[in-house]
Amino acid sequence: MAKSLLIISRQSPWSGPGAREALDIVLAGGAFDLPIGLLFLDDGVFQLAAQQNAKALQQKDLSANLQALPMFGVEELFVCSDSVAERGLAPEALSLEEAQALAADEITALIDRYDQVITL
Amino acid sequence: MSTLHVLSHSPFGDDRLSSCLRVIGANDALLLSGDAAYALQPGTAPFSALNDRSLALYVLAEDAQARAIEIPDWAKAIEYPAFVELSIHHDKVNSWL
Amino acid sequence: MNALTIGARAIELDKDGFLVELSDWSADVATALAAAEDIELSPEHWEILELLRSFYAEFQLSPATRPLIKYTALKLGPEKGNSLHLNRLFKGTPAKLAAKLAGLPKPTNCL
Repeated sequence: MAKSLLIISRQSPWSGPGAREALDIVLAGGAFDLPIGLLFLDDGVFQLAAQQNAKALQQKDLSANLQALPMFGVEELFVCSDSVAERGLAPEALSLEEAQALAADEITALIDRYDQVITL
Repeated sequence: MSTLHVLSHSPFGDDRLSSCLRVIGANDALLLSGDAAYALQPGTAPFSALNDRSLALYVLAEDAQARAIEIPDWAKAIEYPAFVELSIHHDKVNSWL
Repeated sequence: MNALTIGARAIELDKDGFLVELSDWSADVATALAAAEDIELSPEHWEILELLRSFYAEFQLSPATRPLIKYTALKLGPEKGNSLHLNRLFKGTPAKLAAKLAGLPKPTNCL
């Protein structure tokens, strides 16, 4: 049985390569059918803001890529509800509706459940 | 299951420490390395946040020393061999990169 | 330069034969790219190529093999969304070859 892996993505999509790198790990893991989860924490929740426009910065559209996660077999998607609230985002308007909102103690349990954790 | 959380960024102007404290579990430990050692600067918000919690808290001795950070009695100064032991002792290591 | 000549036009390809400019794609380009791979495009090929183009339009990336199979099964049903059918159409490397013929970038997660 392959070890399970939790990726914690905590960078905004526009701050540098962190968000993209976290997603690439998850997509590669999903393509190989690894048990893999993705948690959006801190500024990482901005990746899920609706109506972003990658063209304004001539960049690739990370939010479109994120929608492909279920297609890549990545069904374990989570978002920190505190981070969402602190950043004034509406939980029901997040662009990845499969992502499950978790409170702090649920995130503690989530990290506990996985064999390996990578925070980017 | 237990996790060793490793921080290496300064807690000032960065939310790694506060997020880590939010999600750290009862069986987990926290190691401060590099600029994260500044969290032990007395009289600061990070210092009080750490002091308020009864955590298994470690700091790399050389990183604290280099930064003129005095180590309070509720934190344990360790060298690299102890860091390695600590990593092995826990089920996994979560480095907040 | 690696290029594909269609009529009087030279269309630039990268070292692996993928289009450099995705906007260069057309049905004629697909037919010519397929001919270079000894494939004659049938309606069964076309529906996969169109599917890939809509995958790219929706997600802005080229699918690896598993997501391609999953997406095909979702849109065209399980009798087409399986590795047997896709491997038969695209010489055993559906993600890579079909992406090439559909004018998509090379799948990055196709390790």
